[in-house]
Amino acid sequence: MTKKEDKTQATEELVKVYKWDGSAVKHALDDAVKTCLLGDRPHLKEHFGLVNTRLALCALAVGVAIMAHAWDFTHPFPQSRPVLLISVLAYFALMGVLTLHTSFREKGTFAVAVHKEKERTWEASSDMKKYDDKYQLTLSVNDGKSQREVTSNKSCAAFIDTNGIILDHLVANEVNRLYNSLSAEKKDK
Amino acid sequence: MGIASILQIDEMMGDFNRMNKRQSLYQVLSFAMIVSSALMIWKGLMVVTGSESPIVVVLSGSMEPAFHRGDLLFLTNYKEEPVRVGEIVVFKVEGRDIPIVHRVIKLHEKEDGTVKFLTKGDNNNVDDRGLYAPGQLWLTKKDIVGRARGFLPYVGIITIFMNEYPKVKWAILSILAIFVLLHRE
Repeated sequence: MTKKEDKTQATEELVKVYKWDGSAVKHALDDAVKTCLLGDRPHLKEHFGLVNTRLALCALAVGVAIMAHAWDFTHPFPQSRPVLLISVLAYFALMGVLTLHTSFREKGTFAVAVHKEKERTWEASSDMKKYDDKYQLTLSVNDGKSQREVTSNKSCAAFIDTNGIILDHLVANEVNRLYNSLSAEKKDK
Repeated sequence: MGIASILQIDEMMGDFNRMNKRQSLYQVLSFAMIVSSALMIWKGLMVVTGSESPIVVVLSGSMEPAFHRGDLLFLTNYKEEPVRVGEIVVFKVEGRDIPIVHRVIKLHEKEDGTVKFLTKGDNNNVDDRGLYAPGQLWLTKKDIVGRARGFLPYVGIITIFMNEYPKVKWAILSILAIFVLLHRE
C-alpha cells in the first residue's frame, strides 16, 4: 500500500514503486521532478499545451472511428463504402500525426511551466532506456530569444531507496541544482 | 498476499491513484484507441475486399475434407470477378445471421448480369435448398458474403470456444481492459 507515514516534514504520501519495473520508476521520478519544480516555485505555472494537443488528436481519432461505425450501422455495407474508406484513411492519418507529435514534438517532455513576468518557458524531459538504470533528466529554458538546457545523467538508484520509495529531498536537490545553474547563466548575460 | 505482490497490484493501484485528470483521460483514450484501431482495421478490410465479413470461421464439418470446423477463411467479393460453378462461397440466408460455407454446384445467368446459384456442402448428401428461406430455391448475388480465397487451419477454434462460453470471453476482455486502463504506458 502507498505508505501514509509522516516523516520529518512530509504531510504528503510517500510514493512507492516496484523498483524492477523500468517504466513505473521513470514515471514516478517524472512525477517527483514535476512536483519539486513547481512546488517550490510559485511563480511557475504549469502549461498544458503539448498534452492538450495529444489528447485532442486522440479524441479526434476516436471520434472518427465512432462516426464511421455509427454510419456503417445505419447504412449497411456496401452503401457505406465511400464513407468507410474516407474514415479509415482519416483515422490512420491521424494516428500518423499523433505518432509524429509524440515522437518529435513531445519527446519525453513531462512538464512545461511558464514564468509569466519574465516570459520564460521551462521544459523538463526525461529519458530512461528499457533495461538501463540511468535516468537522464533535461531541464531547458526558453525566453523567446534563446534556448538553453542542462542535463543530468544519474542512476535512478540515486533517488530511490531499496524498498522502492522515492526520496523527494534527493530529487529536489537535483532539480534545484539544474534550475539554479540555468538561472545563474541567465543573470551572467 | 503472494499473488498480489507478484502482480504488483498495490504499486499499480498506487500509480493509478496518483494520476491527474489529464493522465486519466489519456488512459481512457488509449483504451478507446486500441478498440478503435481494431475496428478500423476490420472496416478497412471490408472496404479492400468488398465483403461485409472479410474473415469468417468455418462452423461445421459440411465441407470436409477441404475445410474443417475451426478453420479461418479469407473472403473477397469483387464485382469484376463473377462467381463460377465449383467455387466455394460464403452466404447468409435471409433471416439468419450465421454464414454458411459451401460450394456452388449450379448457376443460371441472364444477359443483364443477374445470377442465381445453387450450393451444396461437399460433405453433405443433399443440396442446400433445405437451408434456404422457405420458398427460396436459389441464392442471389445479395445473399453472397464472398468467395473463399485463402484459409488458415485451426485458428478459428478460439472464436468458436469464445462463442460457446461467452462468460470466458467477457472475463478475458474485462481483465485486459482493466490492465490497459490502469497501466501507465
